[in-house]
Amino acid sequence: MTHNSNQQMRVRAAIPACAGIGLRSPHHRDALNSHAKTGWLEVHSENYFGKGGAPLRILDAIRADYPVSLHGVGMSLGSVDEPDMRHLRQLKDLIARIEPGLVSEHLCWNSFGGRYLNDLAPLPYTDATLAYLVRRISEVQDFLGRRILIENPSSYLEYEFSTYSESVFLNELARRSGCGILLDVNNVYVSCVNHGWNALDYLQDISAEQVGEIHLAGHSVKQVDEQRILIDTHNGPVSDAVWQLYQCAVQRLGPVPTLIEWDADLPDWEVLVDEAAKADGYLENIYEQAA
Amino acid sequence: MNRLHDLQRDFSRFVFQETGLIPGGIKANGMMPEQRLAIYRNNTRAGLTEALRDVYQVVNRLVGDKFFNRLAEAYINAHPPQSASLLEFGGRFADVISGFQDAQALPYLADTARLEWYWHEAYHEADDHALAMSALARLKPEQYGRLGFNIHPSARFLASDYPIARIWACNQADAGQNERIDLNEGACRLLIYRPDVDVKILSLDKAEYQCLTALASGLTLMQAVRQVDAEHPGFDVLSSLQHWLFRGLLTDFFII
Repeated sequence: MTHNSNQQMRVRAAIPACAGIGLRSPHHRDALNSHAKTGWLEVHSENYFGKGGAPLRILDAIRADYPVSLHGVGMSLGSVDEPDMRHLRQLKDLIARIEPGLVSEHLCWNSFGGRYLNDLAPLPYTDATLAYLVRRISEVQDFLGRRILIENPSSYLEYEFSTYSESVFLNELARRSGCGILLDVNNVYVSCVNHGWNALDYLQDISAEQVGEIHLAGHSVKQVDEQRILIDTHNGPVSDAVWQLYQCAVQRLGPVPTLIEWDADLPDWEVLVDEAAKADGYLENIYEQAA
Repeated sequence: MNRLHDLQRDFSRFVFQETGLIPGGIKANGMMPEQRLAIYRNNTRAGLTEALRDVYQVVNRLVGDKFFNRLAEAYINAHPPQSASLLEFGGRFADVISGFQDAQALPYLADTARLEWYWHEAYHEADDHALAMSALARLKPEQYGRLGFNIHPSARFLASDYPIARIWACNQADAGQNERIDLNEGACRLLIYRPDVDVKILSLDKAEYQCLTALASGLTLMQAVRQVDAEHPGFDVLSSLQHWLFRGLLTDFFII
């Protein structure tokens, strides 16, 4: 294939500390051809696990113009199943091909007995889980030959036998395994509302120097009997409450690469570029205040 | 890790509707643990249903969203994903359709699903270069009898009793006016492959279909032609060969 020759004409790999967009296939052409640009792009790694064809060629072309981050949704780090080596090899091949600036995964499990849930299922935050995940993440980082970021999930249940808060659990995971933290501010908000946690405490607890990326997305509200529950649907704009929380986050963390995720009911590309510009506005305020 | 093991076992069984048993230790916090788990079950089922709908857009169009949801439900129960990559999910949908009682009135539906899956596979298959006609010029005449060909890795063959290529074409999002398709207009033999970026669906005649499937199974050209000749005397192998080379269907040759 021709991707070796493409690499010579690429922009640099590092993800800049500005806003980027989660790229989904209906926007492939827009990302390449539209005058409305963004700072960087992130894709779901598994969507490019095919052997060839249009998706990989388009990703090569996109990589020539943008720094790209690879975000995984299926590594199933917290599963008691053996690691899926085929999955890890596919990711390693994609990393070699695309030269991403960041590689990330989730604090969750997705599979049991070789059956995949296609969703991010929550883990109990205990010493046993922590030790298990530290080993799994270290093995993955050794295999890939690079650091990965781990994202806090949105969750709809928690376990009575958890002994850590999620934020402290993430800090410890990062400290012991050497991974970084991908702080999804929408997920912080969703989980805090769903479980009655304090979102500002969560942000305050997070170890700032470990955070390598922020995610922002829209969520939905679902009514279950008397209870209101937030669902991480990525099907609309970032809510006002999450924008406010984001401002608190960047005040504390400083400028961090920030991604707009929108996966369902996709709007026009320009709408995503506007959302990203809004995040850039908040990031620039930080720079100005620092100056 | 026994606790984590049992938790994940019971959680995943609940999601795949094998049991109503609730894993222990889930906080209620204003809702029944079962209602909380049901959110995950719903996410899984909705996500997988949409993944199937993405691949099987023609089937969805033929049967409508509601009926498709029932097919998807049956599929998810019978064949849950075995890999995290959804690109690999849904390969046996045609078999589930064949066995689905309420779909028996649409005998062409399963083959239509097969065609859509082959299209999907071809789209993501490995790239390969077409064999140049000039490469064959170096062959010596005494090698012809032992000559075989590699077919493009994306190539899939499908024979159906129904005109599924027309059904497929008429139900694309960009298809023109409604056309009537007579189910009795007959069988078709299809080649689905992707010589470059775009997936092609070619209708083959019986002799060409037989010859190509024989080559794809690893037979030499001579062996394949002998088979075809028995049933379809007068098969013009040379012009077929030129046609396949021109179409980028052959990627290499070998001498046994």
